[in-house]
Amino acid sequence: MISVRDLRVSYGGTVVAHVPEFDLATGQVLGIAGESGSGKSQTALALMGLTRYSGGTVTGSVTLDGVELSTLSNRQWRSVRGRKIAMILQSPRAALNPTISLGTLFARTLKLHGVPRSERHARMEQALDEVMLDPQILTRYPHEVSGGQAQRFAIALVAALRVDVLIADEPTSALDVTVQSEVIDVLRNLRESHGTAIVFISHDLAVISELADRVMVMRGGEVVEQGLTEQILHEPAEQYTRDLVAAVPVIGRTR
Amino acid sequence: MNALLTVNDVHLAYGEHEVVHGVDLHVPVGPYGLGIIGESGSGKTTIARAILKLHPVVSGSITFAGADVLALKGSDLSTYRREVQMVFQDGDGALDPRMSVLSSVSEPLAIHGIVPKSQRRERVGDLLDEVGLTADLMSRFPHQLSGGQRQRVVLARALALEPRLLVLDEPTSALDVTVQERVLQLVERLREERKLAYVLISHNLAVVDRLCESSVVLYEGTVMESGSTRDLLDSPRHPYTRALRSAVPEIGVHRSALTRISTGVGTSPAGCTYSERCPFALDICRKEVPALLEVDGRQVACHRAGEAMTLPA
Amino acid sequence: MSGPVPDLAPLATSDASIMPGRRRSWLWPGWGAAKRVPLLVAGLVLSALIIIAGVLAPWITPYPEDAGAVVHPTQALLAPSAAHWFGTDIVGRDVFTRVVFGARVSLGIVVIVLVVSAVVGLSIGLAAGFFGGWLDAVLMRVTDIFLAFPALLLSIALAAVLSPSALHAALAIAFTWWPWYARLARGQAASIRRQGYSDAARILGASRTRQLVRHVLPNASTPVFVQMSLDAAGIILTAATLSYLGLGAQDPTPEWGLMVAKGQPLATTAWWVITFPGLAILVTAVAFNFVGDGLQSVFDPKRGRR
Repeated sequence: MISVRDLRVSYGGTVVAHVPEFDLATGQVLGIAGESGSGKSQTALALMGLTRYSGGTVTGSVTLDGVELSTLSNRQWRSVRGRKIAMILQSPRAALNPTISLGTLFARTLKLHGVPRSERHARMEQALDEVMLDPQILTRYPHEVSGGQAQRFAIALVAALRVDVLIADEPTSALDVTVQSEVIDVLRNLRESHGTAIVFISHDLAVISELADRVMVMRGGEVVEQGLTEQILHEPAEQYTRDLVAAVPVIGRTR
Repeated sequence: MNALLTVNDVHLAYGEHEVVHGVDLHVPVGPYGLGIIGESGSGKTTIARAILKLHPVVSGSITFAGADVLALKGSDLSTYRREVQMVFQDGDGALDPRMSVLSSVSEPLAIHGIVPKSQRRERVGDLLDEVGLTADLMSRFPHQLSGGQRQRVVLARALALEPRLLVLDEPTSALDVTVQERVLQLVERLREERKLAYVLISHNLAVVDRLCESSVVLYEGTVMESGSTRDLLDSPRHPYTRALRSAVPEIGVHRSALTRISTGVGTSPAGCTYSERCPFALDICRKEVPALLEVDGRQVACHRAGEAMTLPA
Repeated sequence: MSGPVPDLAPLATSDASIMPGRRRSWLWPGWGAAKRVPLLVAGLVLSALIIIAGVLAPWITPYPEDAGAVVHPTQALLAPSAAHWFGTDIVGRDVFTRVVFGARVSLGIVVIVLVVSAVVGLSIGLAAGFFGGWLDAVLMRVTDIFLAFPALLLSIALAAVLSPSALHAALAIAFTWWPWYARLARGQAASIRRQGYSDAARILGASRTRQLVRHVLPNASTPVFVQMSLDAAGIILTAATLSYLGLGAQDPTPEWGLMVAKGQPLATTAWWVITFPGLAILVTAVAFNFVGDGLQSVFDPKRGRR
């Protein structure tokens, strides 16, 4: 569904991310692992066509259902973002407009992306049910909900828009561990019930391993290795990947 | 055990709203680690601030090396400030953005006048070396450092006064796992070298497991379970501890949350604060607050602590 | 107990891979940052030229004595020429000389107003924001009372009570100028008090004085300094207004506003008498505004790199 070939993101001549290739089919999850500065977030921005707004340039090819995305105009991009591809971020509350209620935000978003008025209510209810949020949350404002609830709300938006691809950039890193697993559950649900393909970005391989079918490890803007999750975790070819695996804190390792 | 810090039945509030409802902590002389485990909103940071005298105490007592911390004034307070230090979560901006690493780390030396001015630079160099940083970082400013470097600078500054107790508030949760690992190794080393005692606040049981002999599990300002970290992790008696235990991300393990997802419109129950999310809750849990009682060599606040609980299908 | 602690040596480099940056001071962003804002450079160069001209006035003007109370009845109202670049005024004094000397007076007024109002405003604002509580309430109510009056009217009223002179005009302006700085500094100090590094300073045992001087003052001052450079132009214009109304500098002081006021009846017959001092006000105001705008964009965390 989404195919990337020789993608390079650069700022002023410096390449900050280079992804030779990956393909992602319906319902698949690709995990991108790396530390800050590894280029994983820059890759996410490039997939969303947002690099140009931060002054960077993208070369190479990204196709979604056969449509080349890298040559789209800003206007054409607006009909792709939110309809075919969407993104959730590390701090969902910061991404939600604090002055409007979640219900207003939800309705406006659906309207913006051309969901007919008659369908909006049903889609909202269904999506909230999928992420296990009480519809009463629609009366609340962003600052009145917890971080985990805000993240699940963001995923509900994605579910209601029925996008094909979701880019999730560190969606659990700012959350408590118990809440992290809620968000993972909800993402797993999304992929199973809607067949959404997910690019899941995190510095934590343990979190990635819960969801991803394939893993791509990045460091310093380059892909260190990629492959099936099992293989990357249990038989990594590169020392760096082994270090990443070993860095995950585990109960009962020492002491 | 030789008590260093004792927190006894402490209640804390923001204005009229009580957020910590009677918490006991006990830290012996180091090397020793006490973990406070809880999610955001559990009151763990407020407890840390109270220990550091940054937050007023409604009732209860805090004792450090036999002295009543809440009554400290003048030179006694100054001594306390030397002996108890804190490391913040990186995001809190614990370093003054306009001060170089040298000025930041030497500030405690200047405040307490313990190292003559001419030797401060050298002392800062030693401290940076101790936390694994090179001396050429001295002229850098916080925005020129990585997250891991900043956290080490904060640690070096805290160590400058040779404290007996460190309060570490989520010291690694803003860091990448690889950097987190290195900071944890650093704390492990310092604890032995300096005979440090510390209170480590975290929401990640694996981190507490690494560094703490005993732990307190906090939920909404109430202690759910406390005892040796080993006991708590190997055989958690409280459903919330079990939920936290199972929520630790591990390679290749699919976490089951073991807790009900909060639907977003919770009301606080009359009984156990955790009953709303507890999959094992009975009627009594929603009506009566369970007392913190000794079970299996640790303290548990749960009506069903004595039972072997299994999840309803 | 699973597995040994991994050897992380190969990772140790990535932690230290942040590029070394330039040292930055809290007063001056450094040339590297300034050069990215061309307006700031232009403003700084222009301001420097004006200041240098004022300082060197006795040596670079053709008729330095014309800055004072001399008259040359035979040379009154001569049009601009090689001998008198900006012409002469109604008593025959060289306008170019007086405009250059005027920089001393105008800049002197600016300095007095800024220093007095910054000292008063920062002290009151920082005290209010840092200590909070009743002190905050009292200080800010007093500040609000000052802000409730139209600033210019208050300055005019005060200047009218004092005998007219450039110094008194400056003090009258400062009297109404400080409350803005107090408000700004108070907001900064109050927000800094809640920062992690303020907690850290308290934990390290820093006295209140040390917290104020070492942490609050430097971090709260930047926006005030930026505001000051933006205000310099306004002060020149206000001083000119007071002079124009006869409440500021008095003849023969070569103050630009006063020169414009005195020359106004001649505007149609001897345009140069008011045009050149007027231009001097304009150019100086623009130069300082460039500096202020430029500093703002360099220090603004949303625009500049912090």
